[in-house]
Amino acid sequence: MRGAYLAGIAALSAVAVAAAAGIVYGEATDRWYLGGSLVGVLLIAYAGIVLLLRKAGLIGPRKAER
Amino acid sequence: MSEPEVRPSRYGRVMTALLRATLRVDVAINRIVPSDYNPLYYTGGLANLFLLVLVLSGIFLFFYYEASLEGAFASVRYLTQTVPYGGLLRGVHRYAADAFLVAILLHLFRNWFTDRYLFSRDNPWISGMILLLFAGLIGFTGYQLVWDERGQVLTALFVRILRSLPGVGPAVADLFLGGPGVSDGTLVRVLFLHIGPASALYLLLWWHYLRLRHPKIWPPAAWVLFCVGLVFLLAGLIPVGAEAIPPAAPAARPTRFALDVFFLWPFWLLNWLPPAGVAVLGAVVFTAGLAIPYLGRRESPQALGVRHAGVAQVIDGNCTGCELCYYDCPYNAIIMVPSPRPGLTKAAANRTLLAVVVESRCVECGICIGACPFEALELPALLERDVLAQVAEAVRA
Repeated sequence: MRGAYLAGIAALSAVAVAAAAGIVYGEATDRWYLGGSLVGVLLIAYAGIVLLLRKAGLIGPRKAER
Repeated sequence: MSEPEVRPSRYGRVMTALLRATLRVDVAINRIVPSDYNPLYYTGGLANLFLLVLVLSGIFLFFYYEASLEGAFASVRYLTQTVPYGGLLRGVHRYAADAFLVAILLHLFRNWFTDRYLFSRDNPWISGMILLLFAGLIGFTGYQLVWDERGQVLTALFVRILRSLPGVGPAVADLFLGGPGVSDGTLVRVLFLHIGPASALYLLLWWHYLRLRHPKIWPPAAWVLFCVGLVFLLAGLIPVGAEAIPPAAPAARPTRFALDVFFLWPFWLLNWLPPAGVAVLGAVVFTAGLAIPYLGRRESPQALGVRHAGVAQVIDGNCTGCELCYYDCPYNAIIMVPSPRPGLTKAAANRTLLAVVVESRCVECGICIGACPFEALELPALLERDVLAQVAEAVRA
């Protein structure tokens, strides 16, 4: 199962890199809504990465929950 | 002699069904995400997150806003179309407002269904209801500030509702308008009614947390990233400026406009109810919300046996001065004083502090008893051995 989580993390990392490139493209071409949408995609990808890291047991639980 | 069986009321049965449904949803989510990442455990924290997003994006919008009849719509249009990322941040502000209200409502219903508003928890419930009222007012005034045809109609309808209030109605309506009709002063007032209550939200939050020792005020990082990402994504994909509502004009008589179901539903009711009816309905709903902690309890305090147990008492000889009860008491009803003498038990022999209960603050909740590992606290009319006997009897039954 851990392999599947790590594959998911790799896939989301690729999405995040693509979103970052898109943000630069949006900024360079003054497409602010495109850039803003991709900021959202980037953050959601990061959220997925953090969640999968937690599910894989590589981080957490939160200090308050220990 | 066994006690007569008490049949729960219909309200009690409905609430029990909702409690079970809530817990089933919890269990289902806990199968998908680790339990410390279950977003339903952080609905209050999520509301806080969206409030911070609202404050930060609102500060940005405020720099460009002009509170006048001539300038309001033009300043919003300039912000949306010309300022880099201005339209995006306007969308972030709008969608974060909706998400803020959704998070508050989830928080409200979850705490209602799981009985976290009863007895000594009425304080966060009451403050929460007032927070909800303020959130609704802030959201509504936000739609007025744009001063497009929708803002104009909303203002006219709101004034009609105010004027319908018995006795004080016309005076309150004039106070809101800043004169007999809409003027530049009206928008200044609306701006104040948008920003003033928003600032007061943090004061109300202080009240909300006043008696909670360990409130979860912030969600896990994954949900912070997801929620902020979601509002950015929505703001980019569904731009707020795309509604294309014309600016307000004295001659305009719009009959239809896009309705935000979260903030503007009272105005939707005006399709069927007179203005006074909407005002009365709002007052009744709000008052009923305030009364929830005191009405229709699933079990009476007497049946639960948690009230009138006498304030907590410190058993001097057992107290080690460890301060656990001091930190756990949500009511600041326990203070630590220098110990005048050593305790009687081995653990308490070298203590330097002694717990003392401030009777006027104690609500007999029993949290301190659970916090104390040394059996140094008791509720006089609800001794530990009595509780254990009740538990044993319940298990047997």
